[in-house]
Amino acid sequence: MNSLYQYLLALADDELILGHRDSEWCGHAPILEEDIAFANLALDEIGHANLWFGLLAEIEAQDPLAYSDQLVFFREPGDYRNIQMVELPNGDWAFTTLRQYLFDSAELVRLEALSQSQHAPLAGIAAKIVKEERYHHRHTSAWVRRLGLGTAESRRRMQKALDQLWSYTGEIFSPLENEGDLVSAGIVPDPAMLQSAWLARVSPYLQESSLSIPGEPPQALRRTEHTPHLKVLLSEMQSVARSESGVQW
Amino acid sequence: MTSTQWARFQVFVQAKSGEPHQDVGSVHAPDAELALLNARDVFARRPECVSMWVVPASAIYAKTAEEIQNLSSAPDGKSEMQPATPETYYVACKYKQAGTQIMAGSVEAASPSLALVKAIEKNSGGMPALVWWVFPARLVTQSDPAEVDSLYAPARDKGFRMSTDFHTHTAMRELKVQG
Repeated sequence: MNSLYQYLLALADDELILGHRDSEWCGHAPILEEDIAFANLALDEIGHANLWFGLLAEIEAQDPLAYSDQLVFFREPGDYRNIQMVELPNGDWAFTTLRQYLFDSAELVRLEALSQSQHAPLAGIAAKIVKEERYHHRHTSAWVRRLGLGTAESRRRMQKALDQLWSYTGEIFSPLENEGDLVSAGIVPDPAMLQSAWLARVSPYLQESSLSIPGEPPQALRRTEHTPHLKVLLSEMQSVARSESGVQW
Repeated sequence: MTSTQWARFQVFVQAKSGEPHQDVGSVHAPDAELALLNARDVFARRPECVSMWVVPASAIYAKTAEEIQNLSSAPDGKSEMQPATPETYYVACKYKQAGTQIMAGSVEAASPSLALVKAIEKNSGGMPALVWWVFPARLVTQSDPAEVDSLYAPARDKGFRMSTDFHTHTAMRELKVQG
C-alpha cells in the first residue's frame, strides 16, 4: 500500500467512525434540536468518508460503490486506520461535544491546508468538505463555550471530558509511515505544522471557556492500534451487511 | 415550578436572493446564536436558503384580521402605558389560509400596536392579510452573509433532497400500481 493510500484511508476511517458514533445519538440527544443536529453531523461525516473512499476506489481503479462497501463492512478492526479518540464510546453530552469540537477544529486546520494540495482530486474533495466542517466547528465551539461557562455541573463534566480526551489528541496529527514523502511532494501538509496551528486555535479557546488543559503530554498512539471499543462498534455497524452478503438495497 | 424549556424562536428563511423571508416554523434554544444554528439544522439542511432570521417568539405581536375587525375601533396604541422611543418594526403577513407569514416590510413606531396600525395603513389598497405579525428589528438575529457558504450552500449538492429521490417511494408506488 502506498503512502497516499494510507493517508486517505486514515482520513476516511476517522470520518466514518466518528460519524457512526454521532449517529448513535439519534433519538437519544438531550433535546430535539441537538438530536437533529447530531443526525446531520453523522450524515455529513459519513458523506465525507464516502468521498475519501471514492477517491481510494479511483486510485485502485475499482467500482466506487462496491469498493466502499468492501472497506466499510468487510474489514477487521485491525485493518481500520482511525484514531482511537473517535472510537471511544459517546459518554455524556459533554464528552461527545468536546470530542466533536477537538476533532472538528483539527479537521478544519487539516482540510484548509489539504485544499491547497498538489494532488488535484484530493484538493477538490478537501475544498468541498471544509465548508461543512466550518459549520460543524461553529456549532460545537458554540456548545463548548456554553457548557464550559455554564453551571458548576456543566463545567465539571466538560473538565472531566477534557482530562479523558486530551491524551488521545496526540494521535490526530502523528505522522504515518512515509508521510514525509507526501509532504515533500506538496501533496499533504507538514503534520507538525498542523499540530501547532491546531493547538494555537484550541488552547486559548478552551481557556476562555474556563477549561484547563491537562499537564501530561498526549500519549504516543498509532493508527494501527485500537481500543476494544472499535470491535464492538464494528460488530454492530457491519452486522447487517455481513448477514446478507451481496444483497441489493 | 420553574420551566426548564428553552425559549422559542420563530425562524424566517429566504430561499433565493431578492425573495422575501418567510416563516418556516420555530426552534427552542438557550440564546439567539444557538437558535440560528439549530434553525439551520432543522430547516435548511436540504431546502434552498440564502439567509435566515430568528426572533424570540415572545417578541412577536400577532393579530388576525378578525381580531382587528372585532376591536371597537382599530387599535390606536393608546392603551400602551409607557410609550417608548420609536424604533423599527418588521411586518410579516399571511395572505392565504394555508400559507405562512411573509415579510412585508418595516415601519417606525413607538410600540407594537402602533406599529400594527401603521402597517395596516401602509398596506391599504394592497393584498388583504389574514394574519399580521410585527416585531422589533433589534430583536432579530440574522445569519452572517459570510457564512452562507458553510451553512447553507452545501445543501445544494446533497442527494435525497426530494421525496422522489428515495427508492422506497418508487417501490411504494409500484406496489400501488400493481394493486
